[in-house]
Amino acid sequence: MSLNSPFFDRRVLLVEDEMLVAWLLEDMLADLGCSVIGPASSVNQALAMIDAEAIDAAVLDLNLNGRMSYPVADVLAAHGVPFVFATGYDKDTLLEDYRTFPVLQKPIQRSELSETLAQLLTPQKPSVESAIVVIGETSP
Amino acid sequence: MPSEDNKSKEQQTAESEVESFRKDLGPFVVAAETTRMAMVFTDAKEANHPLIFANDSFLSLAGYDREEVLGQSFDFLMGHPTDPEELARVEAAFAGSSESEFEICFRRQAGSMLWAAVFISPILDKTGDVVQHFASFVDLSEHKQEEDRLRFLLGELNHRTQNTLATVQAIAVQTLRGAANKEVVDAFEGRILALSKAHSLLGRKHWETVSLRDVIDQILQPFGLNDRRAIRFSVAGDDFRLQPKAALTLAMVFHELATNAVKHGALSNGAAGKIDIVWHAEPPPQSDRMRLRWQESGGPPVVPPGRKGFGSRLIEGGLAQDLAGEVHLDYEPLGVVCQIIMPVRLQVGE
Repeated sequence: MSLNSPFFDRRVLLVEDEMLVAWLLEDMLADLGCSVIGPASSVNQALAMIDAEAIDAAVLDLNLNGRMSYPVADVLAAHGVPFVFATGYDKDTLLEDYRTFPVLQKPIQRSELSETLAQLLTPQKPSVESAIVVIGETSP
Repeated sequence: MPSEDNKSKEQQTAESEVESFRKDLGPFVVAAETTRMAMVFTDAKEANHPLIFANDSFLSLAGYDREEVLGQSFDFLMGHPTDPEELARVEAAFAGSSESEFEICFRRQAGSMLWAAVFISPILDKTGDVVQHFASFVDLSEHKQEEDRLRFLLGELNHRTQNTLATVQAIAVQTLRGAANKEVVDAFEGRILALSKAHSLLGRKHWETVSLRDVIDQILQPFGLNDRRAIRFSVAGDDFRLQPKAALTLAMVFHELATNAVKHGALSNGAAGKIDIVWHAEPPPQSDRMRLRWQESGGPPVVPPGRKGFGSRLIEGGLAQDLAGEVHLDYEPLGVVCQIIMPVRLQVGE
C-alpha cells in the first residue's frame, strides 16, 4: 500500500455473500490501498452500511443468496456513489435499466478491478468541457 | 383496417366461395373442416391474401370466431407486423410457385402471442393460375418454451461455472498466501482467470463454436492488446470458427505464451518489444487446417529454459494431443516463435 496510490484511504463498500470470494476481494481492495467497508452479505446489511458510513465507491455482487442487489444499486445511485456490479452471469442478463453501469465478470482479475475502480473514483469533468464548447458555439 | 361495410362484403364473398367449394368438393371440405391440423385458405386474387376458409382447429388454436377472421388479411393474424424483413418473408412464401415453410409469431385473439410453423402451398386452377393458397399451422409454443428453458439452464450453468472458478481462485489465493511466493500465486490465478474467460466466451456462444479472433481478444486484453499508449501486438488473419475444446486449449496456450513474454520476452520489463500474431489457411489440399505464427521481437536475447515448465508442456503437449495439431515452439535468439498448425473451419458469418 502506498500513500501515492490513487486508492489510498478511499472508502469502498464491498457487497458479496460468498465468504471466500469476499475475503479475496477484501484483500485485493486492501492491496490497492482502499479502506474496505463491509463486506456486507445481504441487501439489508448493505443498506445499513450505506446509511452509517461515508462511502466513495462500491463493488456490488449481483446475486446475494438468491436476492438481486438492485435495491442497493438504486440507493447508491441516488446518493451519487459510483459502483460496479460483480457477477458470474453474462452482462446482458442484467435488467435493462442497469446495463449502463460497469460490470466486472467473475472471477475478478486484479488489473480489471483496479482499472474499473480508478474510473469510478475519477471525478467526472465532461460537463465542464461541454459547457465550454456550448459557450464557444453560441458566442459570435 | 377495412370498414364494417367492406368487411361484411368481403365476408359474403368468402362465404359464397366456401359454399362453392362445398358443392364441388363435398367430402374434402368436411375433412378439411374437421381435421386436427389447423388450416386456412386465402384468396390469391387479392393483394393482402384475405382468408376465405378457416377450419375449427385453426379457430381453436388462434382463439378467434370464424366471423372474426374470414375476409381479414393474412397479416392480421400476425398483428399487422411492420418489420419489413418479416413482411418480405411472408410475401415470398405466397409468391413462391412451390411449397414453402417458415415460422411466424401470430397474435391470438386474447392478445397472447403464439409461435407456429406455417406451411404455404399454392392452389392452381385448370389453366395453371394460382387462385388460392393453402396454409397449415403447427403450434410451436411448447417447442419455444423448451428452447427458452434450455437457454435459461445453460445460462445458470455458465453462471455456476464462473462462480465456482471464482471460489477456486479465492481458495487458492488464501491457501497459498504466505506459503508460496507471489509469482506462484499470480501464475496460478492467471491460469484460472484465462480458463474462466474462455468459459465465459463459450457460454455466451451457447457452447457452439467461437471465433479465433474473440479468443485472442479475450485472453490478450489484460496483456495490453488494445492499449493505445503502446502498441505491442499486431493480429491479422481470416476469422476461423473453433470448437469449444480447441477454443479452451488455445486460450490457455495464448495465456502461457503471453505470460512468458511478460516474464522473459518481448513484453518484459523495460523491453519495447512487439508480438506479431498472423494466421492463414494452409494451401489445398490441406485448406481445412490453419497455420498460426506467434512471433516475438524487440525483447531481450532469448535464453532457452533449462527445463520444461507447465507452460511449455501445455503449449507443446496440449495442442498436439487435444487438437490433432502440430506445435513448434522455438526459442530463437531474436524472439520466441510459436507455430501452430491445426484443423479449423472458415467463418461463414453468424
